[in-house]
Amino acid sequence: MQVQDLVTIVPWNFIATILNLFIQVYLIKRFLFKPINEMLEKRRAKADAQIQDAVKAKDEALAMKEEYEKNMQDAKNKANEILTTAQKTAAVQSEEMLKDAALQAAAMKEKAEADIAQEKRKAVNEIKGEIGGMAMEIAGKVIEREISEEDHAKLIDEFITNVGEAS
Amino acid sequence: MELDVTGAKILWELPLELPVLGKLRISETMVVSWIVMILITGLCIWLTHDLKEENISKRQALAEFIVEKANNFVVGNMGEKFSYLIPFIAALFATSVVSNLISLIGLRSPTADLSTEAAWAVVVFIMITAQKIQTNGFGGYLKGFTTPIAIMTPFNILSELATPVSMACRHFGNILSGVVINGLIYGALAVASSAVLGILPGVLGDVLSKIPILDVGIPAILSVYFDWFSGVMQAFIFCMLTVMYIANAAEE
Repeated sequence: MQVQDLVTIVPWNFIATILNLFIQVYLIKRFLFKPINEMLEKRRAKADAQIQDAVKAKDEALAMKEEYEKNMQDAKNKANEILTTAQKTAAVQSEEMLKDAALQAAAMKEKAEADIAQEKRKAVNEIKGEIGGMAMEIAGKVIEREISEEDHAKLIDEFITNVGEAS
Repeated sequence: MELDVTGAKILWELPLELPVLGKLRISETMVVSWIVMILITGLCIWLTHDLKEENISKRQALAEFIVEKANNFVVGNMGEKFSYLIPFIAALFATSVVSNLISLIGLRSPTADLSTEAAWAVVVFIMITAQKIQTNGFGGYLKGFTTPIAIMTPFNILSELATPVSMACRHFGNILSGVVINGLIYGALAVASSAVLGILPGVLGDVLSKIPILDVGIPAILSVYFDWFSGVMQAFIFCMLTVMYIANAAEE
């Protein structure tokens, strides 16, 4: 069997190697780089999409949280308002009631005082008449003399005044 | 004991004398390089069948690892604009490694034939030159030979031509030396085993001395350096130089 020289450049081998190299470049591109790069690209796109979804979900959650907080604040405000109103109403009502009670008490007191005064006057008048009669009788009997009508009245009045002051 | 280190065997010959190229001869180099191509392509197809986006298999992880390494190697050394060279560098490296290592299964490495490395080096040289012309223009490229002074022109031309020659010869020399040293070791161990076992008396010694027992195992240890280390290293150096020369040509 023939052999090549140990160190030589054979034109056919040279050309074949160049062609082989470029065929190999195509084959490795077609069967290794293309599918792997396509797959990596797909995976990257998927990861991107997932990240975007996550961002969207986060935004939504934040919006929901904001809305919830706003609602909470509204509710709190409303509750405060109601409470304040109720307190005010209660205060006004109690004040009115107190005022009414005071008025009523004053009226009752006035009426009672008027009643007392009238009774007093009535009693005084009654006693005045009675004592007047008694005094005339006693005086007539004691003195046994006729007093003039004028002196008579004067005397009675004096007496009554004294009695009134003493009572 | 006679050791004969020869070039690649010629398996078939077209009995027709062509001008310049000579007779078409199908040599061991060609056949083995086709086997190498089939192996690489088969490996690629096996690695990339049934790809998934998530929950990937180890096989797919390996394929992605290789692609990523190739990308990083080329883009890291040359920049993003040379990403179109990734398949070329990957093909060069894969062909070189598999060609170097195929000697482990007893075939003759295509890289133990200077024609192979010369072809690669010439392709790389053309790419370097094309890149230089693209960067500086044709005039600028020619003018580059006269730097720093006109008298340096012959030396510059010489150094330019030395690039592919040195690349080809470095790779070829390392692989050929592995072939030669492996041959020597096998021969020497065969002699040694026949000498040692020949001491045995009678027919037993005669029979056993014919079997080169020492050739089993011992050369494998040496092949760790001469085949594995040297083979991968030379492929890497060749690709590294290609990348560096082209990247340098794109500068200035």
